[in-house]
Amino acid sequence: MSSVYLDHAATSPLCTEAQEAMEPFLSSRFGNPSEPHRMGREARTAIEGARRTMAELLGCRPEQIVYTSGGTEADNQAVFGLCGRPLGRLVCSVIEHPAVRAPAEELARQGFEVGWAPVDVNGVIDPAAFAELVRADDRVACAMWANNVTGVVQPVAELAAIAASHGVPLHVDAVQAAASIPISFAASGAETMALSAHKVQGPKGVGALIARDPGRLRPLIWGGGQEAGHRSGTENVPGIVGFAAALAASRERRDGRRRLRDRLEAGVGAVPVVSAGASRLPGHVLLRIDGLRADLVVLALDEAGYEVSAGSACSAGSMEPSAALVAQGMTPDEARAVIRVTIGPHTTGAEIDGFLEALRAIVLRLRSGALA
Amino acid sequence: MYSDAVIRHALDASRAGELVPHGAVGRAGDAACGDTVEIELRVEDDTVTEARHRSLACPHGTAAAALLCELVEGRDLLDAARIGQSDLDAALTPREGNRECLAVAVDALHAAIAAALQDGRLPLADGRIAVAMSGGVDSAVALLKAVEAGHEPVGVTLRLWIDPAAPDSERACCSPSSVRAARSACHALDVPHVTLDLREGFRRAVVEEFVGAHRRGLTPNPCVRCNGSFRFDALIGFADRIGAPRLATGHYARVVRRDGRALLARGADPAKDQSYMLASVSTEILARVWFPLGEQHKTATRAEARQAGLAAAGRAESQEVCFVGGGDHRDFLARHGGAGPAGEIVDEAGRVIGMHEGVHRFTAGQRRGLGVGGGPALYVLRTETATGRVVAGDRSKLAVRRVRVSPGEVFVPVDHALVRLRYRGAPVPARVVPAGDGFELELEEPAYGVAAGQAAVLYDGDTVVGAGRIASSGASVR
Repeated sequence: MSSVYLDHAATSPLCTEAQEAMEPFLSSRFGNPSEPHRMGREARTAIEGARRTMAELLGCRPEQIVYTSGGTEADNQAVFGLCGRPLGRLVCSVIEHPAVRAPAEELARQGFEVGWAPVDVNGVIDPAAFAELVRADDRVACAMWANNVTGVVQPVAELAAIAASHGVPLHVDAVQAAASIPISFAASGAETMALSAHKVQGPKGVGALIARDPGRLRPLIWGGGQEAGHRSGTENVPGIVGFAAALAASRERRDGRRRLRDRLEAGVGAVPVVSAGASRLPGHVLLRIDGLRADLVVLALDEAGYEVSAGSACSAGSMEPSAALVAQGMTPDEARAVIRVTIGPHTTGAEIDGFLEALRAIVLRLRSGALA
Repeated sequence: MYSDAVIRHALDASRAGELVPHGAVGRAGDAACGDTVEIELRVEDDTVTEARHRSLACPHGTAAAALLCELVEGRDLLDAARIGQSDLDAALTPREGNRECLAVAVDALHAAIAAALQDGRLPLADGRIAVAMSGGVDSAVALLKAVEAGHEPVGVTLRLWIDPAAPDSERACCSPSSVRAARSACHALDVPHVTLDLREGFRRAVVEEFVGAHRRGLTPNPCVRCNGSFRFDALIGFADRIGAPRLATGHYARVVRRDGRALLARGADPAKDQSYMLASVSTEILARVWFPLGEQHKTATRAEARQAGLAAAGRAESQEVCFVGGGDHRDFLARHGGAGPAGEIVDEAGRVIGMHEGVHRFTAGQRRGLGVGGGPALYVLRTETATGRVVAGDRSKLAVRRVRVSPGEVFVPVDHALVRLRYRGAPVPARVVPAGDGFELELEEPAYGVAAGQAAVLYDGDTVVGAGRIASSGASVR
């Protein structure tokens, strides 16, 4: 039985456009873009073309794009690069992806002060609280465009304006948002922005940091001076080409996800939908299956042929309820009852109906063994 | 990540739910991850005929509960008590970090087994012996000796109340980790193990008494009280329920017979002798007790544990009162309403010579903590809870020649005995005079630091011939 993939926020399948664009660079056109010979020049032309395509799609200049190994590296480069030395202070929302939160925590261990910006009950960063936290000498303020767990879209423009009024640069993790929102770097007001290819149906292992002035950031990775010295290491040519193709294709695609999401949410009955009152990414649905552990429900759905994820993950003996869900006021037990269903561009209505039926049966079965 | 076996058992709902009518229920929760598992057993003719589980648990915990229900069906209760972590490890092949996630279900099964045993009584079996297991090295070796002697041992661990606010409540004996260590020590020898959850009863009978006695200005010995009126009663009651004529523990003490009566005697290791702590255990219970370590030294115990490869060989042991859970019993008292008032430190003439932070921090004979500098060394002579005063003075003023013990009991008629007035105190020769509900002791040489509330234990040679609680003491013999 082939399964129905409803975990597009975790990663998405490589689209045909990206696959076709990458193909030559995985075989015959394998040149190193730093070399002056024909093979090298071909590769160079390809990545610079990709850079121009992406710059146009993302509302930035080509030289503002620095390709990285993925979203995590881009986030790390932005946070560490903007904070630098000597010790100082930064602001970070409590719902940031670990790729931002962990660098902030590491800086705190090194002696930085971190102001943690709270969210409301829907998981939206509170602009008033954010405004009170940001101070003129902060090195950076971090706010994601859309949360990876909840899919809640954040008031990025408003937060950027607040940061700008104090002269503080804003770093925006747009990794999850880029799959659904026509991101414009220029319009966002951000100083830096992180993206990842595999979330937009591109290949894994490639991401991008967009920076108003990449020269402001002290590099994380030193070496042969690729990416104008901002990120050394031979460029991932097929990855970069695939990234640009995938992003371009995503902007062309008709998006039926919102309609499918409405269909799904209408069909879940009494099961609470998390952050229903907030603006969310169109493919994101979070369901709270009270009285059950989400990871068990996920396994049961997998057995029934539906691949979704748990809002919180258990790691080796210690249960870590999702920081984003706890931050918006859930108890640990509630946070651990949340499953995340993320719809893709090719998901069908029949698949949603099948999922609903499977979920109903599973909840009924598993609740018979739940504690009263 | 999940092994295939974990996924299969986690999703197998065939034993999920509850029994109608209800059977014996055991419930366990894991404080670290918040998972909870309940297991319910139907027992007919001492055999588990049906098992069900309910849980709010991750796939590992749920799979463990489902598998345990499958494994336990068809076994008699004591055989069921042989099931443990290693059965799950073998069947579910979890990754190292996930073994802990299975343990909560094992705890639930064992709670259910204990509940089932509580309800019933197994027929008497001649060779059966209950072995008290603490999780430490002594009880592990005692168990080994019971196995080697050809008995049919059944391990039992009392889970007792520990101060949840204590600094290292998890490391204390009777903590969940000690219970698990005790269980695995039994299972390693293929011996059934049962855990009795006596937290509430222990708190009432021993802990509250301890706090209350301190509040009255006494210096109680909770271990003597616990052994005499709680622990051994619970253990012998368990032995009765499982049809075991005898009980073994890993204490360093012996049982001797005199005039047909079972009496306690010192253990062969003078440094480890625990007869003082056990002095209040009744003769009826002693008649059924075996102390396998009574004839040997601790060093021999450690060597035997190492030689047998027992996991407990390297376990640290604590000497502090168990429920205090690490730290100091004075801090414990402060947390639990046993703290006395702060006040003055005065000399015998009533002159104020310093201040203190609470009378519960002081006991007669104590030298440390007075914080009064200069002059000759000062000792606490007595504490006055009513006025909050601590009276301090020269050591010679502590000399005691007469001790009233009430309540107390002389087990065999004696005129003279060696009396021990505190744990590890040097024995003092004394004349023993029956009086009221106890006896009076006329000491032949002075004793120092005699505190009301402590136990007085009488020895005739190595044999404990009497015991009781010190009610008062005086400097002169009438």
